[in-house]
Amino acid sequence: MHPTDIFSLSFDALVDRKVRTVLTVLMVVLGSSLVVVLNGLSAGQAEFLANQFSALAANVIYVGSGQHSYHGSSSPASIIINNAIVSKMRTLPYVEDVVPGYSGSAQIDSQGNTQRISITAMDPTKLAVILPNLQFVDGSTIKPNDPGSALVGDTIANPPGATTPFVVVGQTIKATYSYTDASGKQQQQVKNFIVSGVMQPSGNTRIDSSIVINLDAGNQLLHKSTKYDQIVVAAISPDYVDTVQQELIDQYGKTLGVTTPKSIMAVTQKAASGNAAFTLMVGIIALVVGAVGIVTTLYNSVTERIREIGTMKAIGAQNGDILQLFIVEAALIGIIGASLGIIIGMGAGYVLSIFTTTSVPGSGQIHIPPIYVPSDLLKVWLLSVTLSLAAGIYPAWKASRLSPMVALRRE
Amino acid sequence: MGVLNKDKSGLKGSFTTMVSESRQTTDTNSNSTALAVKNLSKIYDSVSGKVVALDNINFTVKKGEFVSIVGPSGSGKSTLLNMIGALDRPTSGQVYINGIDIFALSDSKIATMRNGLIGFIFQSFNLINRTTVLKNVKLPGMISGMPVSEANNRAMKILEALGIADKATQKPVNLSGGQQQRVAIARSLVNNPAIVLADEPTGNLDSKTGDDVFDMLKTLSRKFKRTIIMVTHNPELAESTDRSILIKDGKVERDVAN
Ligand SMILES: Nc1ncnc2c1ncn2[C@@H]1O[C@H](COP(=O)(O)OP(=O)(O)OP(=O)(O)O)[C@@H](O)[C@H]1O
Ligand SMILES: [Mg+2]
Repeated sequence: MHPTDIFSLSFDALVDRKVRTVLTVLMVVLGSSLVVVLNGLSAGQAEFLANQFSALAANVIYVGSGQHSYHGSSSPASIIINNAIVSKMRTLPYVEDVVPGYSGSAQIDSQGNTQRISITAMDPTKLAVILPNLQFVDGSTIKPNDPGSALVGDTIANPPGATTPFVVVGQTIKATYSYTDASGKQQQQVKNFIVSGVMQPSGNTRIDSSIVINLDAGNQLLHKSTKYDQIVVAAISPDYVDTVQQELIDQYGKTLGVTTPKSIMAVTQKAASGNAAFTLMVGIIALVVGAVGIVTTLYNSVTERIREIGTMKAIGAQNGDILQLFIVEAALIGIIGASLGIIIGMGAGYVLSIFTTTSVPGSGQIHIPPIYVPSDLLKVWLLSVTLSLAAGIYPAWKASRLSPMVALRRE
Repeated sequence: MGVLNKDKSGLKGSFTTMVSESRQTTDTNSNSTALAVKNLSKIYDSVSGKVVALDNINFTVKKGEFVSIVGPSGSGKSTLLNMIGALDRPTSGQVYINGIDIFALSDSKIATMRNGLIGFIFQSFNLINRTTVLKNVKLPGMISGMPVSEANNRAMKILEALGIADKATQKPVNLSGGQQQRVAIARSLVNNPAIVLADEPTGNLDSKTGDDVFDMLKTLSRKFKRTIIMVTHNPELAESTDRSILIKDGKVERDVAN
């Protein structure tokens, strides 16, 4: 038989059993779209994580209270990080620079609009130690010794979705820090800053959603009593990061968290890939369930169409013709299901990512869009179609082996 | 109706080769013989024991002959027709169609023979109801790999000849029983077979429609020299054929010209 004839007969058979065909296709759609959604979301997460760290210098080590505290944990350190510790760290071998800082969060107001933001207090000239590629918008100036000026992150200056900037260089912002005093009363500390610069997107959400002020301003606004939240230690080159890190762990490891971007990334990526493997399993199980659906559908189809198969054979159809008819049915289900599944999965993944914004410490809720890699989509498509075909083989083979006499006598 | 006379040149070539090969081994094949049944037996193994459905059947049918097969229920008429139509292998014996020893061939070749040499008409029509009349009629052509345009042409011409061309795009379920059987007749003819086999083709029809369908077969036989073998329970129809073979207990009881 001509392939077009096979195709048109198979197509007729599927159209004839609309409801069942739709349900079977739906099973494949569910399986493949689930794989696409999960793959896309975890690829998005991985990309997001990679971006966070790719912007950071490779030669730095974070020292802070508690474990993994480069974000500046609020839990109190068991030792006080003060200038004495900073000075001592500067004397360690292979250390190029030591940058202490305060961190916290506050509310800022600009021309009637309000945002909650992160505050990073540090020597602004040392930003390049942490973010070597950081760029500023035109007109920015970095004033290291001016406690009244602030550098503003891109997400604050240009909030996502807003048509006009929240703040531009030269404008004044009012920062309000809320805290509870010793007597348990809610207090507010307010301070005005002139925006001396706006940072370009760095890829690091912490910096992009921070304002950077100098140490004196931070100490005063955030009531830090000169106790630093974190220290960034820069080794003389990335080659010495491990040596310096080991030295820091030996000296402070019991009381302070010592981490590098590399190790944080390794931990988070391991967690993320563990997640991805699990979700992929779920998707593949869904696909297999879909394949079982195809087996059931086609098997029923063979039983129902036994007379028809007998008739086809009586008028000369070869076993191969019957085999092809049923395999093409399975393939059509697979191709339609997989194609729809990928399109629906891509859309659903995007919608899901909006509803399940990820909370990033210090940056609030972040929308991490899914990432769809064409070669991954192709793999999902091929997997779905292959599974569908595999599911069709047994019923098709059963059908093709029927003796014409037996098939015709069956009612 | 010229299409019904035309030979399919493609298939004819290969058949003639096979005919000449088998001629050396059998004497029952002259150019005028369409079918020869030799020592044909069929024994079914069922739970209730062996059933001898056919017991050493012998006869020949000439080209253009219209033969009826009659006999009581369970005598083996359908079994005989199914053997001739190569739907099942006999326990012993041979069937020659156009001189070809059908059961000496492989299953796949037998399927090709069914497609090219035999036209089947069933009591319950056995049309594929989800697809159109035209596609049903074309089906044997499609299976043989006939070019689409030729299959369409042939199918339409036959439907015209049988007076149901206007139903070509309809589904068979929407047709009357008589019309459905005409579609089945059209389907049996599309590959220009050597023999048309009909198992009680009027059995599911009222007598008037049954007569119409029978007349159609008769016309095929008279005007277009088709070889037809028909199983029937209707004595009047049987008498209107060229020859009646009476089967009883799997044996040829009587074989008379009408
Ligand atoms: N596949 C089979 N397995 C077992 N026995 C069978 C089979 N097919 C037919 N038979 C038996 O063979 C005998 C002949 O059956 P067949 O169908 O050929 O009769 P028939 O003459 O066509 O009868 P009817 O006029 O009722 O159609 C019967 O006894 C039947 O039960
Ligand atoms: Mg019968």
